[in-house]
Amino acid sequence: MIDVRDISRSFERVVALDRVSFRVEPGEIVALLGPNGAGKTTTSRIVAGILAPSSGDVFVDGISVTGDADAVRERCGMVTDQPSLYERMTLRAYLGFFCRLYDVASPEHRVAELAELLGLSDRLDTRLGAFSRGMKQKVAIARALVHDPQVLLLDEPSAALDPETARSLRAFIVSLRARHRAIVLCTHDLDEAQRIADRVVVLYRGRVAREGVVGALRADARPRFVVSFSGDAALARTALERVGVTPEAADANGHAALRFETSDETTTNPAVLRALLDAGLAVITLAREERTLEDAYFAIVAEARGE
Amino acid sequence: MNKAALIAWREIRWEIYGDRAAVIRTLFFAALPVLFVLSERNSLPSTRSDLTMIALAFQSALFPALSGVALIASTFTQEKENGTLLPLLAAPVRDMDIVVGKLLGMIGPVMAISAASLAIFYVLGRLVYGPERIERSLPPEILYAILIVAFLYLVTAGSWALIIAARVRTTRAAQQLVGLLIGLSVGVYIGFGFVAARVGTGWPLLALGPFLLALDVIALEIARRVWQRGEVIGRL
Repeated sequence: MIDVRDISRSFERVVALDRVSFRVEPGEIVALLGPNGAGKTTTSRIVAGILAPSSGDVFVDGISVTGDADAVRERCGMVTDQPSLYERMTLRAYLGFFCRLYDVASPEHRVAELAELLGLSDRLDTRLGAFSRGMKQKVAIARALVHDPQVLLLDEPSAALDPETARSLRAFIVSLRARHRAIVLCTHDLDEAQRIADRVVVLYRGRVAREGVVGALRADARPRFVVSFSGDAALARTALERVGVTPEAADANGHAALRFETSDETTTNPAVLRALLDAGLAVITLAREERTLEDAYFAIVAEARGE
Repeated sequence: MNKAALIAWREIRWEIYGDRAAVIRTLFFAALPVLFVLSERNSLPSTRSDLTMIALAFQSALFPALSGVALIASTFTQEKENGTLLPLLAAPVRDMDIVVGKLLGMIGPVMAISAASLAIFYVLGRLVYGPERIERSLPPEILYAILIVAFLYLVTAGSWALIIAARVRTTRAAQQLVGLLIGLSVGVYIGFGFVAARVGTGWPLLALGPFLLALDVIALEIARRVWQRGEVIGRL
C-alpha cells in the first residue's frame, strides 16, 4: 500500500532525510520512532504528498507521489499533533467544507456518519472553539477520514490528550487497522507504539536505524535479569562487580534487588549466584525481566549514536 | 476553480462575517465617507474643487481597500501560526486554488465595502454639494475607474502581502511589514494626487491603472511561486 523508496529531503543545507525506505501493507500499523529532528514528520509529509522528496519516491496504492501528488493526497488522510481547526466554524460546516474539498459524493450524509462514529452527533452545530482538546483531536481525525482514505498518517495523534481519551483514540486506530487501512504512526510515546504498532521503523538523524516487528525488536534487546536477596545491598553490588557485572538498583516485592544485563546468561548467571552466596547473602529469586520496546529503542538509538 | 470558490466562501462566511472585530472595522470604513463629506462641505466649485470631489470619492473607495491588505496578510500568517494551513495543503487542491480562493475571500468583501462606501459618498455628496456638481465631477465612467483602480490596488497590494506572509513567521511581523507597504501605497497615491492637482487634470490618476496592472502581474507571479506547497511546508 505504501512503498517508501530511498527518499531523501534537504532543507537548504540541512539533510532531514537520507535514503529512507520502508513499506506499509494494508491492515498494518507501522510506528515511526526517533528523537526530535529524526525525520518522522518530514517522512509523513512526503508520504502525504504535501512535500516533495529531494530524491527517491513514494508509491501509495501504486501511485507515485512525485508523478501525481494530487492522486496521492486523495488516498491519504493526515492527523497532526495539533488539531489545527478553523475554530469559528461549527463541526457540521467544518467537516462539510473538507468533504467538498475531497469531492465526497454526499457531504451531509458523510458528516453525520463521522459525527456518529466519533460520538460527536450532539455537537454538530457547536463552534469548534468551544470544544475540549480531546474533542478537537477527534474532529481532526474525522477530517482525515472524510474521504475514507486507504492510508492514514498520524503524527503524534494522542499528544496532550488525557489518558482516557488517548486510550479511546488508540482503540479507534486499531479498529481502522481491522478495516485494512495502512497506518503510519509517528510518535514519541513508546508505550503507545508497543501497544498498537505491528512494526517499527526507528529513524535517527534522517536515516533508518532499525526496522522490524515490535516483538522481534524487543527480543533483540540484550537480556536483563533481576536478582533479589536478603542482606547488605552494598556487599551484593561489590560481589557482582567482582564477576564483571554492572548492577543497577532494582525493587523486587520489597526485597533488596539488583538488575543487570548480560549477553551470555549461561556463564554470567551462575557466576552471579556464586558471588552472592560467597558473600554470605541469601538469594531469593533470579528472574529474567521482560524487555519493552522502550528498552529496545534506547539500545537502537545508542547504537546509532555510536555509543 | 470550484475549490477556489469554496475556499473563498469559507473565508467570507466564517472568517470575516464570523469575526466581530472585522465587522466593526467594516462599519468604521463604511462611515468614513460621511466624515470626508462633512469635513469638505465648504469646498467651492471650480476645476480644482472638482478634482477634490474625485479625490474624496477615491479616498472613500480606497480606505477600505487599505484595510483589506492588512486583512489578507493576517489571514495567511494566522493560518501558518495556527497550523490550519496544513490540512488544506494535505487536501487534493491545487496551490493556485488555495492562493486564489483566499485572495478572493478577502478581496470580495473588501470590494463590496469599497463600492458601498463610494455609493454612500455619492448620495451624501449630492445632498451636501448639490446634485449638479456631483454629477458633473463624478460621471459613471469616473466611478467605474475609481472602483477598478481600487480593485487593482487590492490585488497588487494583496499579492505583495501574500509574499510577505509567506516569508515571515509571525502575524506581528507580517503586520509591521504590511504597515510599511500601506504607507508606501499612500505615498504613491499622494504623489499622483499632487501631480493631478498641479496639472489640473485627472490623467495622472488614470495612469495609476496601467501602473497597478503591471505590478499585479509581477506580484501575482511571485506570490504563486512562494506559495507552492513545498515552499510553504518548508517554512511551517
